[in-house]
Amino acid sequence: MTHFDVFGLTPALELDVKALEQQLRALSLEFHPDRFAQADARTRLAALEKTTALNDAFKVLRDPVKRAFYVLKLKGVDLDSEASAAQVKMPLSFLEEVMERRERLEGLKHARDVEQARAMADEIEREKSAALERAKVALERDDVPEATHQLGRVRYLSRFIEEVEALEEEALS
Amino acid sequence: MKGFLQIHDPLKPKGHAVGIDLGTTNSLVAAVINGKPTSLAADEGDERLLPSVVHYAQNGGVLVGKRAVELLATAPTDTIKSVKRFMGKSLGDLETKKLGAYQFVEGQGVVRFQVAGGQPVTPIEVSGEILRTLKRRAESAFAGKVEQAVITVPAYFDDGQRQATKDAGRLAGLEVLRLLNEPTAAALAYGLDKNAQGTFAVYDLGGGTFDISILELVDGVFQVKSVGGDSALGGDDFDRAIVQRALEAFGITEPSNTQIAQLLQAGRAAKERLTELPESSLTLDGRVFSFTRADFDGWIAPLLQKTGVAVRRALKDAGLTPADIKGVVLVGGSTRVPAVRSYVEALFGKPPLADIDPDQVVALGAAIQADLLTNADRQDEVLLLDVIPLSLGLETMGGVVEKLIHRNSAIPTAQGQVFTTFQDGQTGMDIHVVQGERELVQDSRSLARFRLSGIPSMPAGMGRVQVTFSIDADGILSVKAKEQTTGVEQAITVKPTHGLTDEEVEQMLLDSIEHGEDDMQRRQLAEQQVEATRVLADARKQLRENGDLLDPEERKRFELGVEALEALAQSTTDHASLKNAIHELDEQARPFVERIMNRAISKAAVGHTIESF
Repeated sequence: MTHFDVFGLTPALELDVKALEQQLRALSLEFHPDRFAQADARTRLAALEKTTALNDAFKVLRDPVKRAFYVLKLKGVDLDSEASAAQVKMPLSFLEEVMERRERLEGLKHARDVEQARAMADEIEREKSAALERAKVALERDDVPEATHQLGRVRYLSRFIEEVEALEEEALS
Repeated sequence: MKGFLQIHDPLKPKGHAVGIDLGTTNSLVAAVINGKPTSLAADEGDERLLPSVVHYAQNGGVLVGKRAVELLATAPTDTIKSVKRFMGKSLGDLETKKLGAYQFVEGQGVVRFQVAGGQPVTPIEVSGEILRTLKRRAESAFAGKVEQAVITVPAYFDDGQRQATKDAGRLAGLEVLRLLNEPTAAALAYGLDKNAQGTFAVYDLGGGTFDISILELVDGVFQVKSVGGDSALGGDDFDRAIVQRALEAFGITEPSNTQIAQLLQAGRAAKERLTELPESSLTLDGRVFSFTRADFDGWIAPLLQKTGVAVRRALKDAGLTPADIKGVVLVGGSTRVPAVRSYVEALFGKPPLADIDPDQVVALGAAIQADLLTNADRQDEVLLLDVIPLSLGLETMGGVVEKLIHRNSAIPTAQGQVFTTFQDGQTGMDIHVVQGERELVQDSRSLARFRLSGIPSMPAGMGRVQVTFSIDADGILSVKAKEQTTGVEQAITVKPTHGLTDEEVEQMLLDSIEHGEDDMQRRQLAEQQVEATRVLADARKQLRENGDLLDPEERKRFELGVEALEALAQSTTDHASLKNAIHELDEQARPFVERIMNRAISKAAVGHTIESF
């Protein structure tokens, strides 16, 4: 059963998250273990399993990036697992760019220059969105190698943004 | 649903279900009566709050509540207070000798108090006495049996502390329907009372802990978006701030224990008077120390700012800003302090809600949840969806934590990940489950270890072990490991003998922020060390099996490269230089690898016809 099946949807890259959230609430009201607190063990276990599947599907589908990775996974390429992601070769020029940016970020971290780091993250955020859009187009026309390449980029760029966020959180406290 | 139950259990009426706030200082029981959540008074009077104090008498009798409080001074080692702070802890975790002058029984595992009148008692048993008293109180209020309860716990309680609370309920003869997070309970009491829709924050400042929760109520579903907190921050710190200033004013540099105890009591009373008056004072041995509300506000400002940090983090985790919050619910006695109220108002840009008694709101919410879980007629009214407070992960190579479930994930949930074997012929895999936000195992809380054995002998990387974490609606974790080619499987429910201390959770959270950068470097180094080990093992294997493909000079050079990398891997702390060295050895190996490939292809070609190849 795929995450889309859980919500009775056909696999799609664009989803109405508000509607999905409404559906999550309606389905939770139907299946949540609390609805069966006084029922027998088997019924409670079934409720637990259904709700688990629901929560896990929602976690993936509500997020456009996770959703795109998941659609790619349904097409046979799992970029979520380290082992298989390592098989995807990114072009050297991109890796060099990542390295160069990483050095710049290290410098900013040392200088505790959160503002500059945020500016970098914003720029990278735009690139990430563009790569995600290209990945979606590729997925639409079933071009798995191109989608893999673009989502590989998204993967790298996301990590970078996460690092900036960690830096910001540190500054916050 | 109802009919089904009656068929199943015709002889066992369940009686009334209650909600219990098992607090550090006071406890309270409540139930929904005629559709309205109501706190239940003790039979001897109108007093609702039961002091969480238990006295063990010489004759084996047990006193709970007010009468036990009266014996605190005369029988301190036989009278246990603040037992909640000991729940799920071992003597080893404790800096708790300062929590009271108790006589602990030395040994491993759970804390035991040596008290008068017989055997040592555990915190679970002491809590059980409090719960039993509340159960009796409810039974006399209903003039009937009470067998089911929802008990509240701080959102930051870990697996061990939750388990201990559940056990205490069982000891008191209660079926624990659900452990409910305290702020969630409070929000439930407000949400239903006001029939509200939208996003709420619950700011819960008790005697010793601070919790913040962000919740959304839409279409009858109460969804916890994020939780956070500071488990070593509360009203006790306000009292200490007063005592410190009083000691300075009196010129006392080395106060006696009695002086500290007297000052703490006087300080707390002076603080409480400030809620109504602009000025307050305390006396010690005939001397008077006076201070204004403005003085006091200044002393506690740094403490309030710490709550602000936790609030901002919780908002960020929920993807929200203060403007998105429709109402802020205050919980806990310390929120009576005017400076706390004005701080919260400034933080969220709106005055907080405080029209339900902050001492009762948690128990009232628990009573509502108990009613929702047992009363089929109310089932459609509301549903609570909760989250886990701390991330859960596994130890991977190099002592790095791989997080499987992140903090603030909705529960119940499950998450699986495949790990591959690392060595040729590896037949077992150690599974080490950890809790916390840090990058490295050594900085995280260890929850459980077990070993998956019986993996068939295979080359490195071929054995594939699927590890699955499952968390149920009470937030309790179970772990399953399965080797995918053979189906060999092992499963455990994580039941630690003692949980993480609040202080540890807090420390872990603080550390994860303070050492974020440090962690990242250590993590990167650990990753490169793993990579170096893999490359070295591979290089040695190829030298052994295909070394004849190299001429003596090439071979010598390659061996030197291998040795150099090995030396560096053992000595360096710089991940970048190690990465470069790995890269260099890779480059050096390239011609060698090509020859090996050619040999493999020609070997494979032997015995095949051109067509089939």
